[in-house]
Amino acid sequence: MQFTQTPPPPLHEITSFPSNINPMNKNQTLRTRQWPGFQTSKSLGSFGDANCMEQLLVHCANAIENNDATLAQQILWVLNNIAPSDGDSNQRLACGFLRALIARAARKGTCKILTGAVANVHITTHKFSIIELTGFVDLTPWHRFGFTAANAAILDAVEGYSIIHIIDFSLTHCMQIPTLIDAIANRLEGPPLVKLTVAGATEDVPPMLDLSYEELGMKLVNFARSRNIILEFRVIPSTSSNGFASFIEQLKVQNLVPANNGIEALVINCHMMLHYIPEETLNPFSFNNTSVSSLRTMFLKAIRSLDPTIVVLVDEDADFTSNNLVCRLRAAFNYLWIPYDTVDTFLPHGSKQRQWYEADMNWKIENVIAEEGVERVERLEPKSRWVQRMRNAGFRGGLFGEEAVMEVKNMLDEHAAGWGLKREEEDLVLTWKGHNVVFATAWIPS
Amino acid sequence: MPEIMDSSTAVNDSAVSGDASVSSSGNQMPPPKAEKKKRNLPGMPDPDAEVIALSPKTLMATNRFVCEICNKGFQRDQNLQLHRRGHNLPWKLRQRSSKEIRKRVYVCPEESCVHHDPSRALGDLTGIKKHYFRKHGEKKWKCEKCSKKYAVQSDWKAHSKICGTREYKCDCGTLFSRRDSFITHRAFCDALAVESAKEPVAPPSVEEELDPQTVDPSPPSPPVQSPPSVPTSSAAISLVLPDQTPALDSTELQDDPIPKSTQIINDTATPVQVASLTASCSSSSNSSNTGSTRSTVFASLFASSTASGSMHSQASGFTDFVHATAQADLIHDLGPSLSIEPTSLCLATNHGSSIFGTAGQECRQYALPPQPAMSATALLQKAAQMGAAATNASLLRGLGVVSSTSSSGQQHWNGQQFESGSASLAVGLGLGLPYDGGSGLKELMMGTPSVFNPKYTTLDLLGLGMAAGGGPTGELSALMTSIGGGLDPAPSYGNAEFSGEKYGRSS
Repeated sequence: MQFTQTPPPPLHEITSFPSNINPMNKNQTLRTRQWPGFQTSKSLGSFGDANCMEQLLVHCANAIENNDATLAQQILWVLNNIAPSDGDSNQRLACGFLRALIARAARKGTCKILTGAVANVHITTHKFSIIELTGFVDLTPWHRFGFTAANAAILDAVEGYSIIHIIDFSLTHCMQIPTLIDAIANRLEGPPLVKLTVAGATEDVPPMLDLSYEELGMKLVNFARSRNIILEFRVIPSTSSNGFASFIEQLKVQNLVPANNGIEALVINCHMMLHYIPEETLNPFSFNNTSVSSLRTMFLKAIRSLDPTIVVLVDEDADFTSNNLVCRLRAAFNYLWIPYDTVDTFLPHGSKQRQWYEADMNWKIENVIAEEGVERVERLEPKSRWVQRMRNAGFRGGLFGEEAVMEVKNMLDEHAAGWGLKREEEDLVLTWKGHNVVFATAWIPS
Repeated sequence: MPEIMDSSTAVNDSAVSGDASVSSSGNQMPPPKAEKKKRNLPGMPDPDAEVIALSPKTLMATNRFVCEICNKGFQRDQNLQLHRRGHNLPWKLRQRSSKEIRKRVYVCPEESCVHHDPSRALGDLTGIKKHYFRKHGEKKWKCEKCSKKYAVQSDWKAHSKICGTREYKCDCGTLFSRRDSFITHRAFCDALAVESAKEPVAPPSVEEELDPQTVDPSPPSPPVQSPPSVPTSSAAISLVLPDQTPALDSTELQDDPIPKSTQIINDTATPVQVASLTASCSSSSNSSNTGSTRSTVFASLFASSTASGSMHSQASGFTDFVHATAQADLIHDLGPSLSIEPTSLCLATNHGSSIFGTAGQECRQYALPPQPAMSATALLQKAAQMGAAATNASLLRGLGVVSSTSSSGQQHWNGQQFESGSASLAVGLGLGLPYDGGSGLKELMMGTPSVFNPKYTTLDLLGLGMAAGGGPTGELSALMTSIGGGLDPAPSYGNAEFSGEKYGRSS
């Protein structure tokens, strides 16, 4: 039995590894992600620390970029030994990056001997059945936070409208819609007509669904009917790679979005989908010389032109846009530890769902680290930049009402204690152990 | 045994004390443990709180204060004293001196537990007891209805009262405690489709008296394109949903967020050595004491060379890596790994050249890249230093022992011998790579300096390492230990350029 006797160091002394290590300073060693009250691995001592792993990954990335195969391989070896794929959360995180670096090295040709092998060692992401997916998004606030906040804001915004047109740009295949329909069905003024237009993205990004949008729509219509709501479901095949340009065009061609007449509310719900639209750091030749603004900017201007009643933008609060591999690696490492850290709180070791969950994370890591150009689709931007984009596009921030805050808080109460809600100006931010995870913003035309 | 104070303070999960003292209580005092720096530490530190550490026995004990007359037990001495008055025995109630009122907080004796840390101590005795039972105790109380088990009787009672009353049940049989979850599931569950198919004409229920088709206040203009999936049945299906909002059992809420998996380490005396390398490095004599299912570093290494076939099976890459370690000892073949089909992180044995083989052969050809802010060498050494300060051994810690405990050793690694700068330590690491658990690097390292011919260059240690794989025993750790222990390694390495064969002979 051991009891800690050493007082923790003062809060302000954040020691950044490894700049000022000295032997007299053993009690103030590493900047870690620990949060009081939550377990992290002690088994590895400080060597298992995320900082050290990050440093090694950075060095490895540098070695790969410098074509230093020897150093790269040596660090890869070290990483392989300190980061087993079935280790603690930091180790699994590092393992994900290790794989991604190997994939990059193989693709880049730095370590030619790796090439053939890695070609076969690709991540298999799970194709969810619809029921699996419902259970999956329900496990953690990662998506539910956005669902809850957005639904509350939408419900506020569409009050009094007898037709509600929801345009859904969502990564999670309409998982948000049932609760929204349910909430709309329960509103005081009676159920409206709901039109749901879904951007059926053609890209295969996780979570992947084992069901066509047509079948999905059938279920939703059926469900809405059970709640006394008539739902018109429409899916327009589209792709984020062109900034949903074809989608917007179809909306206009088919005259699906009438001018704002006070009867029909237009809701544009963007749930973790917009970061797949190419931004400024990606300049494929297709629009390289024809336009100065990025597809992301063009998309926001396009939806602004639809004169929506409300736009809800929910996304992950990180920056994966840098063209510099090391910057991206650091950003991703310092963000994606969160899903690995949280998974212990809701999925048991060795469970299938956990494998699916982490495979999706690994897919993401590999996309950020190993891919370049148009193949690199995980282009998260932090909230501040999205806010700026929305303002530039002619939106102003809408308020999340107290109702929305209460709903989110109640939802978070159902999950592990590390989750938190933060208000930043007009926006809501989901936090894990105090770190920003997902932001939710609501916008109205200014 | 500490005095059990009756504390009326509510359970307080927030961080209480940054620099609280820890008073031990009949338990051995532990050596001070390295406290990790935390970022974004929330909560209000209460520097005045006194941290109490109770043993599991104390926490589990019920009615520890027993009346010698009637054997009636009491949880608190105060109550026993009151009881003793009934027997006309001498009794004494302790007076609480007003100036001595100091907030007490309690830490959990489970070292792996989050509440073991004084900064996360619980605010009252009842709280820590319940916590200990819930998280580290046996769940003896089972709900007859749902078979859910509880460790604290009051939790079980509270659950029993509401069990089954706050759940949503889909027709498919799935139960939900939250309405949102139920709604989402219900929308996509086949049970709903079946139901709607079965009842094309539903009897009008209260809900259905408002036919949405007729009350629609403003019929929309017909869509230009008919929706792809307008259901053929026009009957509204009544769906009876429970009205009450689900309020979760608070005790469940407390319990659920932290699953059992948090109790990874139960035996504080022998911390689990997570990484195989840790294990192998920390034991100089016997690699089987690792306690790790993953075998040793060197075994894993070999696994990588021998298990390359499995590496080609998708996805599981490194898992296979690790899993294969168990077999590594059996199948490793040093001959091929030495020269023809070396390991190379084992990813690509088929491709003929091993990473490390390559490294060994080509080391001199690589111009070292411009150094980052901190070189890999320095990083690894720092890591090693850190490791040396930690309670658990690791490979790099082993290395760190080299560099941190022996200045001459450090010199050796950095200055005198390794002109190559950043790659040097890694090369040193690479050294160990191809070994399996039983290979002879240890011997190599432990060997007297005379083993190594001074004319050999350090870089060829790699080649040596390859060959030394055939050596019968030994571990890298021993190497490190010996170096760290003050053997001057410099002569042993000095310009060493030994071949595998030579090493083989020497061992």
